Amino acid sequence: MQSSPNMLTKFESKSSRAKGIAFHPKRPWILVSLHSSTIQLWDYRMGTLIDRFEEHDGPVRGIDFHPTQPLFVSGGDDYKIKVWNYQTRRCLFTLNGHLDYVRTVFFHPELPWILSASDDQTIRIWNWQNRSLICTMTGHNHYVMCAQFHPTEDLIASASLDQSVRIWDISGLRKKHSAPTSVSFEDQMARANPNQADMFGNTDAIVKFVLEGHDRGVNWVSFHPTLPLIVSAGDDRLIKLWRMSDTKAWEVDTCRGHFQNASACLFHPHQDLILSVGEDKTIRVWDLNKRTSVQSFKRDQDRFWVIAAHPEMNLFAAGHDTGVMVFKLERERPASAVYQNQLFYITKEKHVKSYDFGKNVESPPMLSLRKLGSPWVPPRTLSYNPAERAILVTSPTDSGTYELIHLPRDATGAVEPTDVKRGQATSAVFVARNRFAVFNPSSQQVDIKDLSNSTTKTIKPPAGTTDIYFGGTGCLLFITPTTVTLFDIQQKKQLAELAVSGVKYVVWSNDGLYCALLSKHNVTIVTKTLEQVSTLHETIRIKSATWDDSGVLIYSTLNHVKYSLLNGDNGIIRTLDQTVYLVRVKGRNVYCLDRNAQPQILAIDPTEYRFKLALVKRNYDEMLQIIKTSSLVGQSIISYLQKKGYPEIALQFVQDPQTRFDLALECGNLEVAIEMARELDRPNYWNRLGAEALAHGNHQTVEMTYQKQRNFEKLSFLYLATGDQEKLARMAKIAEHRGDFTSRFQNAIYRGDVEDRIQMFKEVDQYPLAYLTAKSHGLTEEAESILEACGLTEDQIVLPTLEEPLKVPHPIVPTFKSNWPAKAAGHSSFEKALLGEVGAGDEEAAADGFEVEEDETEAVLAKDTLEEEEEDASGWDMGDDINVEEDVEFVNVESTEAGAGSSEADLWARNSPLAADHVAAGSFDTAMQLLNRQVGAVQFAPLKDRFLEIYKGSKTYLPASTGLPPLVNYVRRTTEETDSRKVLPIIPRDLETVASVDLQDGYAAMRSNKLEDGVKIFKRILHTLLVNTVSSESEVEQAKKIIATAREYILAMTIELERRSISTDTPEGLKRSLELSAYFTIPKLEVAHRQLALMAAMKLAFANKNYNSALGFANRMLANGGSAKLLDQAKKIKAQCERNPQDAIDIEFDQFAEFDICAASFTPIFSGSPCVTDPFTGAKYHEQYKGSVCRISEVTEIGAPASGLRLFVPAQY
Amino acid sequence: MDPFSAEGELLNIHNAFHSGQYQTVIDFDTAALSPENQLPARVLKLRAQIALGQTKEVLAAVSSEEDTPDLAATKALAQQTAGNTDAALELAQELAENYPENATVQVLAGTVLQAHGNSEEALALLSKHQGNLEAVALIVQIHLQQNRTDLALKEVQAAKRWAQDSLLVNLAESWVGMRVGGEKYQSAFYVYEELASGPSTSAALSIVGQAVAELHLGRLPEAEAALTAALEQYPDNTELIANSIVLNVLAGKLTGDLEARLQQVQPSHALLAEIQEKSEFFDAAAAKYSPKVSS
Repeated sequence: MQSSPNMLTKFESKSSRAKGIAFHPKRPWILVSLHSSTIQLWDYRMGTLIDRFEEHDGPVRGIDFHPTQPLFVSGGDDYKIKVWNYQTRRCLFTLNGHLDYVRTVFFHPELPWILSASDDQTIRIWNWQNRSLICTMTGHNHYVMCAQFHPTEDLIASASLDQSVRIWDISGLRKKHSAPTSVSFEDQMARANPNQADMFGNTDAIVKFVLEGHDRGVNWVSFHPTLPLIVSAGDDRLIKLWRMSDTKAWEVDTCRGHFQNASACLFHPHQDLILSVGEDKTIRVWDLNKRTSVQSFKRDQDRFWVIAAHPEMNLFAAGHDTGVMVFKLERERPASAVYQNQLFYITKEKHVKSYDFGKNVESPPMLSLRKLGSPWVPPRTLSYNPAERAILVTSPTDSGTYELIHLPRDATGAVEPTDVKRGQATSAVFVARNRFAVFNPSSQQVDIKDLSNSTTKTIKPPAGTTDIYFGGTGCLLFITPTTVTLFDIQQKKQLAELAVSGVKYVVWSNDGLYCALLSKHNVTIVTKTLEQVSTLHETIRIKSATWDDSGVLIYSTLNHVKYSLLNGDNGIIRTLDQTVYLVRVKGRNVYCLDRNAQPQILAIDPTEYRFKLALVKRNYDEMLQIIKTSSLVGQSIISYLQKKGYPEIALQFVQDPQTRFDLALECGNLEVAIEMARELDRPNYWNRLGAEALAHGNHQTVEMTYQKQRNFEKLSFLYLATGDQEKLARMAKIAEHRGDFTSRFQNAIYRGDVEDRIQMFKEVDQYPLAYLTAKSHGLTEEAESILEACGLTEDQIVLPTLEEPLKVPHPIVPTFKSNWPAKAAGHSSFEKALLGEVGAGDEEAAADGFEVEEDETEAVLAKDTLEEEEEDASGWDMGDDINVEEDVEFVNVESTEAGAGSSEADLWARNSPLAADHVAAGSFDTAMQLLNRQVGAVQFAPLKDRFLEIYKGSKTYLPASTGLPPLVNYVRRTTEETDSRKVLPIIPRDLETVASVDLQDGYAAMRSNKLEDGVKIFKRILHTLLVNTVSSESEVEQAKKIIATAREYILAMTIELERRSISTDTPEGLKRSLELSAYFTIPKLEVAHRQLALMAAMKLAFANKNYNSALGFANRMLANGGSAKLLDQAKKIKAQCERNPQDAIDIEFDQFAEFDICAASFTPIFSGSPCVTDPFTGAKYHEQYKGSVCRISEVTEIGAPASGLRLFVPAQY
Repeated sequence: MDPFSAEGELLNIHNAFHSGQYQTVIDFDTAALSPENQLPARVLKLRAQIALGQTKEVLAAVSSEEDTPDLAATKALAQQTAGNTDAALELAQELAENYPENATVQVLAGTVLQAHGNSEEALALLSKHQGNLEAVALIVQIHLQQNRTDLALKEVQAAKRWAQDSLLVNLAESWVGMRVGGEKYQSAFYVYEELASGPSTSAALSIVGQAVAELHLGRLPEAEAALTAALEQYPDNTELIANSIVLNVLAGKLTGDLEARLQQVQPSHALLAEIQEKSEFFDAAAAKYSPKVSS
């Protein structure tokens, strides 16, 4: 059988001659009517026969599914039309009327009509709802072979052996049968006499056109779905194309090629193609526009009788002498490749496009591959090379061609590629940055080519190789029908071989460690060295696969998205309406290409496989997380856990007491088991619980279960075993009560209670035994009394030799008091994690020196509180800016020795006026000069770590030739730049890190009252920012704000630390302490932190009877708002203070005056009084501190002339 | 036929040497090689031993065969590496004088000369090479050490014309690329990544190269992943440690442990020496400043 390369057979059935075919519009079903009178219903996807319908007599030629109802219609050589319900699997009714074979039957797309064509030369329309004949069309004067409704208009086309095709207008019929507005006399007349000509001689259906052109009988006719075209097939072996307008119809062209009767023909539903079949055993495909043959397919033995198209999908079915075949004309898998966040793919129009997963945007077309291969054959594969931004595309045309094309830098539209390298091969893949491999099956040869398309190496693959795939860097995978081989290209060596049959696709995991080999029905997961990890089988065809970042394979079958863990555990994630090709999974999204080559995003719930993965990896925290955040329940996961030996985890999911009980027993969790047993309270459960508890040595539980089961014997024995004499006595009592002598005897023996035994024997008239017992235990009196009672004397009885009676040993240790020691119960780390969850809350209530509940409002930057700061300082900075000349910004760096060039570090210093860049260049002296001029830095020791940090991060060491020191390369922050006049160094700890990490650390220190640490952190922030760079003016502002924030926090923290160091025993000390606590409230902290300061100050003032001050603080707190608890306290204090708003101790603090705090002396600087400022931090000092080192920054000189810190040079960016 | 060419039998050992797989080189089975390739293979093996620090063994191995200029050159390199630098220089200069056409002498003596800072002498010797890729690579490196990226680039481009596909040319191009920056970082990255991920070429050398390229590209997390994984595999590789220090600094992490480790493995490493030097420089420079009023 010769098969055209592109016709893909999806299903074939074996039967007698197939005369009629119908596709189900939604389900993967076809109906096949056979010459043998049977109608078959097949699932062509699964390849199974669903049903058979056998009520016709003789051949069944016409068959059709109803578009929406669960109905189908059939027509046969028994002149009958039958309407069936495939759900109830019954024939609903039969329409009788035709007087000869029925050739075709069709449902109307919307009206309740059936159209039939018959050898009785008539075409009839039936209403299947009231089961009546509504129209009979006469006119053909030979067998009518086919009649079809137009898909949208009120037209019918018919083909007859009278060599004509007729087009009928049935708009009259529709009018008559649509709901009448008023019933006229004519209508009544017409209804009463169907099929009769009306008074103008018209019938309901009138012949519109008669198309003559075929020289022999016409077998089939079809309408085009959208265009006014008609195609017909006749015994003259011709396929004729007709066009019609409103008023006329004419022959357009003829497709010649069939060399026997043409049986049927139709238009391709989406493409400009015509398909026809004939008794010459061929299926032929024609170009609708050129009327040339595109391809043909021939069967050896079987004549074709009928062809049908699926209404939506790209599927066709053809019926022949021995069955049907379902096929499609071309592969629908779009060629695609994924690189990082991008998908490259080829659309139906053969345009190369890219799609960004992150942004969910499609690029405009980048290239047009119109000239690749033949117009009706889509490209098969696409391989992408990121280093060269090139693609390799293969097309199956001409037994395989490939093209190497460079993608344009910007997608500007579907341009024709220039500079295309091409050649012959069925497969072509990139194997390295500048190499690709092409495979030619005819020569059985793999060529390694460079980017100029010249062969650099030739490899002989294993015999029978059908395809090649990328095999990891420098390697190839050879696919043969039975094996996969890993081959190292450079060493020309086969590294590994694995027997896997029928591999069609290879999908590498994102980290390149694993790879999935997809066959039609199998997925085999292998490592990169081709060791098999797992394999799984699917009954439905596997279409595509992609890897999750966590190493889970997500694959798609025809109708499902499924997952597989590395260990082969798999499951369904979701169902699919249509077949898709997965390309990427990210989070809850699966990205795929549909059959129209459109990128789509499918939402999935990854919980199940993530959970299983976490289970496999024993990542209990993640499992816990999943359990807490998702509703992961269901029998499957429970049985999965149980099966995998994690009953204790399964326990967490189960609500049903019975299952819970089973699981609890399985994992030995007695507490849960007891709880559940109580709930269930049935003997069987107590019994099982008892057995398990006994195995655990948990005799208290055992006791309880025996009690529940009223199992007295076992209970007694248990008490004996545990040495519980008291309970044993009680058991004896109970036995006595119950009148159970055996039991009583047993208990007496257990207890060693001879009297009771004798008593019992007497009660049951076992005097000899009673006597013997008494005698042997030396109870002579008792023995005698027994004898007496029996009226016997000692001489009358013969006693066996008595030995020393057995004594029941007494328990030495009261084991019954507690359970036997058992190994710690099997709490898995998972359960611990579950339990730990309860205790986790404790951490939060960590040391909180302020005794205040905080609210967690932290903005990344202190915004409102700090903003005003900048302005009011300006009035006092007189003269600061004067002495600094702008032109000294660039400090000259002498260039190094001649001959050799200057190093990049030297360039940095030359390129930038920023201190940080000089530091990175190692030019510390010039950096210091700059800092001195900019911010008056004079004491550099605190900056040493920062200097060395920047310097350390400035270069890398790249080993080159052996025997020589590594090459030093300089790390740039301008990674895109290559102009040596513009390159600049990278500076570690950028502004963002400072704002998002260091600053938050500082706030945390404040919150948790670790003030010493806080001061250190904020000082480090100052130093980090002092020697740094930023990338925009707005970042300069942000940096300044952070500097101001750090200043305020350092000031506030040092004030509070000072206060804590003062003893309050002396009146002066107390006064100072009160003052400092008041000053602590002045720096502009975050509101939440200011509340802490106010609270502390308020409490201190209140405690020392400074009610006026306390009132002031309380009012400020209330004004700030915040947590209710805090405000409550403030309100209380306010209420108390208002009764007596007096201060007991007079302090230097006026809550209504505006003032700053001197950072050296911690005394107020009231507005208007003289002060000096630190040029870097802006901290204020009394005048006498001018010239000393700033207490806040520890680097800069108070009141020194300075030009201001520079962190940014606009020209650099 | 050039024994190092794609079809030559020394290709694999040569590539292994230059991708830093020294043990593979030493273990390489040379018995099957043709007689004219025996000596170059042996020299490569000796050089691999030197690279692994086994200088004594090498010196012992070549002691009786110093008449062969190739082995004498190997001796010079071994002496240099062992610390007997004066003797090495003398021998190298002598060899450069007598056998300037010998490829091994060119490369090894050139290395010794450059290690002594005699760049001009080294370049003069190396410029006599005829199609010796190793000499090209060395010239490129010397130019780069002299910060003459322009000359290095020229050299690479010239070599690319006749040996486009060679590993060494690719490597040398990457070295230059790392200096040029911009898009060249990415190209260099691809070269090293390809080496690092190939089963037959992966070694500390290539991983360092890959990580350094990532670092220059500003892709710190990727660089970190590569370095961390590599450090587990090669805990004592100095360049891995040194570059990890750089990376951690840039990522704002502490580097004390790594510095101590480097101190242990190679106290003379440029990174440590420079930090020490700069630390002293800082103190000296800072001493020039003081506040007007001491508090």
